[in-house]
Amino acid sequence: MTNYLPALTVGAALSAAACSAAENPAPAAKLTAAPAGTSTTVPAAAGVPHYVQAPAGSTLTFSFIQAGAENQGVFKQFATELNYDEKNLAAGSLKVAVQTGSFDTQDKDRNDTLAGADLLDPKKYPTAQFVATSLTRGAKGIEAAGKLTLHGVTKDLKLPLDIRTTATGAEISGETTIKRLDYGVGTGDWKSTEWVGDEVKLQYKVALTRTAK
Amino acid sequence: MTFRNTTRSWGTLSKALHWIIVLLIINQWVIAQWAESSTGFAKLKTLGYHKSFGMTILMLAIIRLAWRWMNPVPDLSAETKPWERTLAKISHVLLYGLIFAMPLTGWLMSSAKTYSVSWFNLFAFPNLVGKSDRVYDLTHDLHHLLFAVLVTVAAVHIAGALKHQFIDKNDVLKRMLPFGGVK
Repeated sequence: MTNYLPALTVGAALSAAACSAAENPAPAAKLTAAPAGTSTTVPAAAGVPHYVQAPAGSTLTFSFIQAGAENQGVFKQFATELNYDEKNLAAGSLKVAVQTGSFDTQDKDRNDTLAGADLLDPKKYPTAQFVATSLTRGAKGIEAAGKLTLHGVTKDLKLPLDIRTTATGAEISGETTIKRLDYGVGTGDWKSTEWVGDEVKLQYKVALTRTAK
Repeated sequence: MTFRNTTRSWGTLSKALHWIIVLLIINQWVIAQWAESSTGFAKLKTLGYHKSFGMTILMLAIIRLAWRWMNPVPDLSAETKPWERTLAKISHVLLYGLIFAMPLTGWLMSSAKTYSVSWFNLFAFPNLVGKSDRVYDLTHDLHHLLFAVLVTVAAVHIAGALKHQFIDKNDVLKRMLPFGGVK
C-alpha cells in the first residue's frame, strides 16, 4: 500500500489541477520544472502535454486487396509519442515507430511471403517510422504532416488524427491509405498490382498516457 | 433440337450446361495440379483462377438444378434394366451433389484460411467461416476426397453412356451430345 500512496497522491493532484485549470496546460509545465522566469500564463513549447503509448489498448491494422478480396493484418509492436496542446498545434508533434516484423495476417503462408525480400523484408528494414514535427488543423480535423520511412524509403504523409484527451491520457484514431509501391514494397512478381493491390489502408487507434517528458 | 428438354432428348441449355461444366471440371483439375506445385505469387495466381472457375461451376450448378426442375427429364430407353436405372439414379444424384460440394468445400477452406474467394478479381464472395486451422484442414481433406469420389462416379457415368451407345445401341448418349440429337 505504501508503494501506491505517492502515485495516488500525484494522480489526485494532477486530476485536481486539470479540473481547476481547465485546459490550461500550465500545471503540467510546473511538474516538468519550468525554467525560472517562464510565464505561467502562456505555455512555451516545453509546456505542451506529452503522451506516450499505453501498454495496452492500441491497434494498428493494415488492409489490402489480395486476389480481389480484402485482407487484413495487424502490427503488434509499435510505440507512439505525442505532444499535443489543442491550443498550440504548431508546438505539437507525433512520432510512431513500428516493428515491421511484428505483423500478423492470420495465416502462416501469407506471413512468410510478406516477410520475404520481395515484400516487407523486416530483416533488412526492421523499423518503420512516422515523424511529424508539428500538427495542423485541416479540413477534416487535426493532421500530422510528416514523413513516413518504410522499407528504407521516406515520403511525405499526412495522417488525419482524431484526438480525444482526458485528464490522464489521450486516444488517437484515424485512417489513411498509402501505396506500397511508393515505398518499394513489392519487387519481382509482387510489383504487379493485379493480385495484390497497390493501396494499403492503415487504421490506427492508439491509447496514450500523459507523462512528464 | 429445342432449347427446353423434351421427354425424348435434352434441350440446348441442358446440353450446354452439362458440357461446359465437364470442361470446367477438367480445367479445374489441371489448374489444381499447377497450383499444388507452385509457391508464392504463382500459387496465389493459379489458386485465384481455380477459385474463380470453381465459383463459376457453383453458379452454373444452381442454374442447372433449377433448369432440371423446370423441365422434363428424358426417359431412359424402355429396355433399361431396374439395376441400371438405380445405378444411373444414384450416380446422377451424386454428380449433382458433387458440383455443389466441390465448390462449397473449396469456398469453406479458402474462408477458413482467410484467403477470400473472388470472381476473377472483379468482386469478392463473403467468407463463410472465420479463421480456423481445424476447419481448413477438414475442408481441405474433404475437397480432395470428394474429387476422388467425383472421378469414380464420373467413370461409372461414362461407362453407362458407352454401354448405351455400343452395347445397347440406343439413343441415350446421342441425345446429350452437343450437336447430336434425337427428334
